[in-house]
Order: sequence, then structure tokens, then C-alpha cells
Amino acid sequence: MNRPSPRTVRRLIGLLLLVAWEAVPRLGLLPELFVPPLSKTLTVLWLDRAIYGSALMVTLYEVAIAMLIACGAGILFGAVVGGVATLRHLMLPVFSSLYAVPIVILYPIFTAWFGIGSESKIAFAGVYGFFPVMLSTAAGIRTIDEQYLLAARSMGATLPQLIARVIIPASIPTVLAGLRLGGALTIIGVVVSEMLTSASGIGYLVTMNRTILDSPRVFAAIIVVLALSVMFDLIVRAIERRTLVWQTAGRRTASPEPVTPARLATV
Amino acid sequence: MQHVAQLNPRHEQATTAVEVRGLGHVYAGRDGAVPALSNIDLTVPAGRFVVIVGPSGCGKTSLLMMLAGLRTATSGTILCEGRPIATPDPSRVGVVFQEASLFPWLTAVENVEFPLVLKQAPRDERRARAEAMLNLVGLAGFGGRYPHELSGGMKQRVSIARGLVQDPPVLLMDEPFAALDEQTRMTMGHELLRIWEQTSKTVVFITHSLTEAVYLADEVIVMSARPGRILDRVPIDLPRPRTYQMMATDVFGALRERIWHQIRDVQ
Repeated sequence: MNRPSPRTVRRLIGLLLLVAWEAVPRLGLLPELFVPPLSKTLTVLWLDRAIYGSALMVTLYEVAIAMLIACGAGILFGAVVGGVATLRHLMLPVFSSLYAVPIVILYPIFTAWFGIGSESKIAFAGVYGFFPVMLSTAAGIRTIDEQYLLAARSMGATLPQLIARVIIPASIPTVLAGLRLGGALTIIGVVVSEMLTSASGIGYLVTMNRTILDSPRVFAAIIVVLALSVMFDLIVRAIERRTLVWQTAGRRTASPEPVTPARLATV
Repeated sequence: MQHVAQLNPRHEQATTAVEVRGLGHVYAGRDGAVPALSNIDLTVPAGRFVVIVGPSGCGKTSLLMMLAGLRTATSGTILCEGRPIATPDPSRVGVVFQEASLFPWLTAVENVEFPLVLKQAPRDERRARAEAMLNLVGLAGFGGRYPHELSGGMKQRVSIARGLVQDPPVLLMDEPFAALDEQTRMTMGHELLRIWEQTSKTVVFITHSLTEAVYLADEVIVMSARPGRILDRVPIDLPRPRTYQMMATDVFGALRERIWHQIRDVQ
């Protein structure tokens, strides 16, 4: 009679999708050109594993460097812009508007500047991921509860202590949310730019196989990109769990300790 | 309660803990200078419990911020233990704010030892001291909890422990129980008196509650609306230790009535 847990339901839906992926083309409900069966896709992925592997290495390398740039510059700029009021009033509106620009239209310019190799992908994806990191870092620092700063100052905190012991820990949750979004955008940036103009990487495999109507190989590349995104998400979640212990501590266990009268007495 | 001995109770009742002379504060508002406080004279003998009441915006909090060294007075002087308070000095003045001034990313014991961490006290020493303070406020064994795992009353106990951890002679409290429900508030007032009697601190306490004021104080200072001036100094000569039954007495009612008259008249 008891209801299945959300996790069970999620897994069931996932399994159903995989079954549908195999069954729908096999039953002829959709042509194999649109959706090749899962088994066929996995087979070509295995057969071409050397090709996909080396393409993945290129993409991973570009993503890693782009993320480093996006997160490093994003946190640095965000901290400065969020922390200094005059800079904030001057620059934050500009950055917020820039965030809304579809930066992908600038990609041709990036190829003109950096060529069609990895450099242009790194530069493009770096800029693409920079904005959310920068904006959320600025927001995280700007929205710190004034009360924390006041309390710390009343306890004699100097400015460096205020930054290290209050401002940084207080802004970590917002910054992490920005890193998650920025990191995801970096992956998108790299794959999209590979699809547009390049001769290597997973995105290139998608475009190349699409032009020759090799659907199983297109879907194989998509699976690799999916795996990459899921991996990234798992890593970020692990980091969040580790750094944000204080937000979740004691919430999992229903009743951590029996409540004794002595405990109740301490209000 | 052997920890209490570490608190060095000061029995020299004759000395003056806080001395305020001709204090004025003017802040820059939208339409020019706004006087917030004018000509405040206040002498608090060591070991006294002084409560400040007044209508909203009477500059009570401004006064407390200046006593804490968090804001600079426009005119006049503040002496604590005979020396001026120019910057926050937690070894002379401890501050307890309204709720939510505990750092949520630190456990209770880490919050209490925070002022000692700022002073770079040795780890063992500060941990022992923080545990002793938690013991004093009735939270022995709760040191490992994060603030979100504590009730409102327990959080304010931690705040009091944090204010006392450097054993300052003076404790400033800015509406510390304002966010608590009535019953918790009564219990906390009672607890505060117990802690005060055990430690012989000088307490300057700000509140909106007249009942709380009369219940806790040796002397109630009544302030006027902006610009804040001292309207009346009401000595509360109810015997100590105070009991809840006293609230129902005529003396208690008359004292509360006297204070209420002053505040009502200026509004």
C-alpha cells in the first residue's frame, strides 16, 4: 500500500525511456534516421571508441581550461564588483545586460581572433561561463546579512578577518550556485562552438556525422556529452555537500536524540 | 559550576563601569542633518543592570552602537572602565544582538569561541573557555549543533555565551529576546538574571517591553522620541532575586505605569 519513493519513480521513468528508445525505432514507430535504437547507438560507440575517446579528451581539455578561466575571473571580478559600492553601481547593470546577450553571435569573431583550434573554444566558453559566476559572486557578497558583519566587528574583527571569516563563508552558497550554472554553460559553450567550426571534439563528431546522415554516431556523441554533463553535476553536488554541511546537518535524521525532560528544560 | 570562578566577579561596586557625558549624534539624512541623540548623560556603576526603553527611533540602538564602539559620536564622550571606547573592544564590552547574529556556518561552540579565534588564542584554551561559557548559559552538550538546529531561546543563550567569552566587565544587549515568544522570553529573562548574578557583569539592556524592563532592571532609563533625550531614570527597588510573582504586585504595576506615561506622552 505504501507509495514508491520519488527516487524509485525517477529510476523507473529513466528505465522506461531507455526501453522506449530501443523499442520505438525497432517497432517502426519512428524511422531509424530520426531515432536509431539504443543498442545500435551503443554498438557504434563501442566500435568507434578510439575516435570518441580522443574527441572526448579534446573537449575535456577545452572545458577544463575554459572553466578555470570562467570561475577564476568570475569570482575575482564578482568579489571586486560586489564588494566595492562605486564599482557595483557603475558596472553591475552593464554586466547584467551583457548576460542577456546571446554571446554565441560573437563566436565568428572569436574564430577570427583565435583560429578554429581549441583556443577559440576555450575563449568563447570561458566568456560564456564567466557571467553567471561573476554575477552570483557579486550577489553573494552584496547580500550578506549586515548583522553578521556588525557582530564580527563588535568582536573586534579586522578587515582581513572580516573577509576570511565572515564574507567568504557567508557567500559560499551563492558562489557555488553560480559555479554550477557557469560550469554547465562552459560545457555548452565548448560543445556548441565545436559544432559550429572545428575539426575535433565531441561537438565536431555530432556535426560531421549529421551531415552524412549517420544517426547512430550522432546519438553516440550525444550520449558522451550527456555523460560529461552528468559527471560535472555529480562533482559539483559532492563539493556542495562537503562545504555546506552546516545547512543540512541534523536534517536527515528524523529524531537525532531522544528528547529528555532535562533537554526540554533548556528552552 | 566551578567554571564560574574563571569569570573573576568584580565586587568593587563603587566604581563606574560606563560613563557617558554630553553625548550627541547627528546623522546625514535625505533632507540634511538629522539629530538622533542629544545631550545624553549616563553613569552606570559597576555590576548594575540598566535597561533603556523608549519609542521606536529614539536612538536607543544608536546609543548602544556607540557604547560598543561601532559608531562614532558626533559630540560628547563615552568612557568604559575609565578609558574612551573608540573602536570595538570585546575584552571590555561584549555585545549581544537580536536573533540571527550567530554565524550559521559555525557550530555553537565555534560561534562562542569566535572572538578568541580573532585574537588567535591557542585552540585548546579557547575551546575550553567556550565550553565553560556554554555550560554557564545552560547549553552543556549542545556545542556541536549548528544554529539552525537550535531553538530561538537556545540561539540567544549561545549569543550571550559569545558576548561573555572574553570576560568583559560590560555586556550590552540590543533587544536580545525581541524575536522570542512570550514564554521563552520570560524564561530567558530569568536565566539572564541568574547569569548576571553569577558573573557580576554590568549590563546595559535595550528593550521595547516594559514588563521585561521592570523585571530585569536596577534602573530603567526612559528615552524620548527623536532626537533622543533621557526623560526619566526610574530606580527599580524590587528585591532580588526577582520572581515571576512580582509581576502581579502593585509596586510592579506602578513602576510600569510610570514608564508607560512618559513614553505615551511624547508620542
